[in-house]
Amino acid sequence: MGTRILTVEDDERIRTAVRLALEDEGWEVEEADTGEDALQAFTRQPSDVVLIDIMLPGIDGFDVCRSIRRVSDVPIVMVTARADTHDVVAGLEAGADDYLTKPFAPKELSARIRALLRRARTIDLAPTHLRFGDLEIIPDEGIVLRDNAEVHLTKTEFRLLVELASAPGRVFSREVLLERIWGYGYFGDGRLVDVHVRRLRMKVEVDPANPRHVMTIRGLGYKLQQ
Amino acid sequence: MTKPITTRTRRRRRARIIAPVRRRFGLRTRLTVTFTLGAAVLSASLAFITFGLTRQNLIDQRQNSAVTRAFANADRLAVELPSATTPTAVSRSLNALSRPNAANAVLSSDGRWYATNGSAFDQQSIPESLTVMVAGGQAARMRTPVNGSTQLIVGVPVPDLDAQYFESVPLADLQHTLNGLAMTLLIASVLTTAAGALIGYWASRRVFAPLLDVGTAAGAIAGGRLDTRLPEGVDPDLDLISRPFNEMAQALEDRIERDARFASEVSHELRSPLMTLAASIEVLENTRDDLPERARTALELLSADIDRLQQLVEDLLEISRFDVGAITLHLEEVLVVELVYQSVSILGGGGVPVIHDVDTEDLIVRVDKRRFGRVIANLLDNADRHAGGATSVTIERTDNRIHISIEDHGNGVPEDERDIVFDRFSRGSEGGNRSNDTGVGLGLALIDEHVRLHGGRVWVEDRRDGDHGARFIVELPLVDPPPPDENGDAEL
Repeated sequence: MGTRILTVEDDERIRTAVRLALEDEGWEVEEADTGEDALQAFTRQPSDVVLIDIMLPGIDGFDVCRSIRRVSDVPIVMVTARADTHDVVAGLEAGADDYLTKPFAPKELSARIRALLRRARTIDLAPTHLRFGDLEIIPDEGIVLRDNAEVHLTKTEFRLLVELASAPGRVFSREVLLERIWGYGYFGDGRLVDVHVRRLRMKVEVDPANPRHVMTIRGLGYKLQQ
Repeated sequence: MTKPITTRTRRRRRARIIAPVRRRFGLRTRLTVTFTLGAAVLSASLAFITFGLTRQNLIDQRQNSAVTRAFANADRLAVELPSATTPTAVSRSLNALSRPNAANAVLSSDGRWYATNGSAFDQQSIPESLTVMVAGGQAARMRTPVNGSTQLIVGVPVPDLDAQYFESVPLADLQHTLNGLAMTLLIASVLTTAAGALIGYWASRRVFAPLLDVGTAAGAIAGGRLDTRLPEGVDPDLDLISRPFNEMAQALEDRIERDARFASEVSHELRSPLMTLAASIEVLENTRDDLPERARTALELLSADIDRLQQLVEDLLEISRFDVGAITLHLEEVLVVELVYQSVSILGGGGVPVIHDVDTEDLIVRVDKRRFGRVIANLLDNADRHAGGATSVTIERTDNRIHISIEDHGNGVPEDERDIVFDRFSRGSEGGNRSNDTGVGLGLALIDEHVRLHGGRVWVEDRRDGDHGARFIVELPLVDPPPPDENGDAEL
């Protein structure tokens, strides 16, 4: 079965046009016009990617995102009206992996979806088992353990962690991480990295306010240390 | 007969409250000068009046006492002279008279003149007119210089005898007192005038301070901080200025906000149909090869104009955000050379050579990368649309600023259009020519707004090599620039 995408959008015409464009990419598209519908559809049959418009009647996009995040690590793309508002950060905090601003070209959406569906790069990693103090990463199986208990990461969070773990101690700039994980270049939105690092810390650090693994190097980027 | 002013004409007429008389001196100077002159005039007239009255008073007093005494002395002489038969006796009587204030007396009796002892005052000192008048039986007085100092001479005929009594009272000590008084009054006037000047200066500053506040507030509003207001209710007089000012500012803010909101709402409303259009066009594009020739041409037209419409809506939204001040910059410190290279290659589609000096390689600017990238991309886009594409992008350092110049080989921008090309929807002399133009006139206006928001400026001039074409220059301040490198002018 092919890749299934759930689009949550209250404007029927946009929904239809987006569905047609995504179907042209060879993906299967399921539509929902309200947040409630979307959650029902997702519970009935989880999709591989979810596209959520933040402005929805009834429960809004943020809530839909949080509800899905509670039960799944599926990649989520948010659609916002503007890039420079609080919406973007709020959407990312709610669990979205990436965002698009309206109006976007369907080609752009396809590119985002493809980037999110890419698997973590495991090819550079010789060891199949990485240990950082109390943290243990098994890239091949997509498992992260802290104190031998499994930590649930989203796909994007996992890829971020593995990317940092590919060269422990090396500083990765935001641009490099944006390119390797999201497929953006120099002009990617650094907030994607910052919010994901924050979310990653909540899960892998004992005290997220005083991280011991995922370190910020001011003005340069991030690194993973033992 | 006066014609009633209709609303229409009243609105059209420019509100001009004060006739524009050009004054050479400022309000503050004039106020200070007025205060100074006022103080000077007041204190001088006060001094004059005081001096005059005092002088009159003193002299009158001296005069009255002298006259009273002279009469008393004459009366006494009238009693004593008949019994004084010898000149010695007459002299004795004369010397025995009461003469305070260093007065001297002269007596003419039976054609003989007597004077008080040790006195320079004698009949020679008495003016002829006075002698004649007194000899005629008329008491008189006169102020006259005697031996170089002013004296008051009172002449009284001695009753019942053929004798005239003259008494001279010196007025020099009075003059002395009056001189002292004049000096005191002069000093007081000068001090009062100086105080007037100081008060004038202080008052003008006090009065002017709220006006300066008005100026500052107006400047702030002009600079885009539309919510600037003057304090109200502090001073009932100043409220006459601040209340209408604030009402004006509020009206202005409301109006600008309404306009901007309108643009923003229109653009937002346009977004949804545009989204549908863009997605549908893409679906059609996917089946492009199956379409007949005519339909394919129609699709191309549609596609190009939807791009254009989308860009216009985005630009309108962006510019309305500038208008309401809703732009938030995500400032980062980046290497300017990398920023420009990335902007040209990623956003500008590459292909344009970027030239930079070696000494610019470590230079850092503080920008919102994505917004500033759009500035460069829009300038390249502008060159594409109007001048057949940019020929080079140059990065140079000028003191503490960096110049990013984009040159093209088009027709250039005529000198008189160089400012207006950055206006909204300004197309310069190419205005009528839309045939191949997919752009709208907001691009350069947005560039200008963006660059200014970054603390820089943008302008256009002739190509540096003198060839035909334009050179757009974006100037940005550098962050902590190192001292310029003298050897670093080799080009890469």
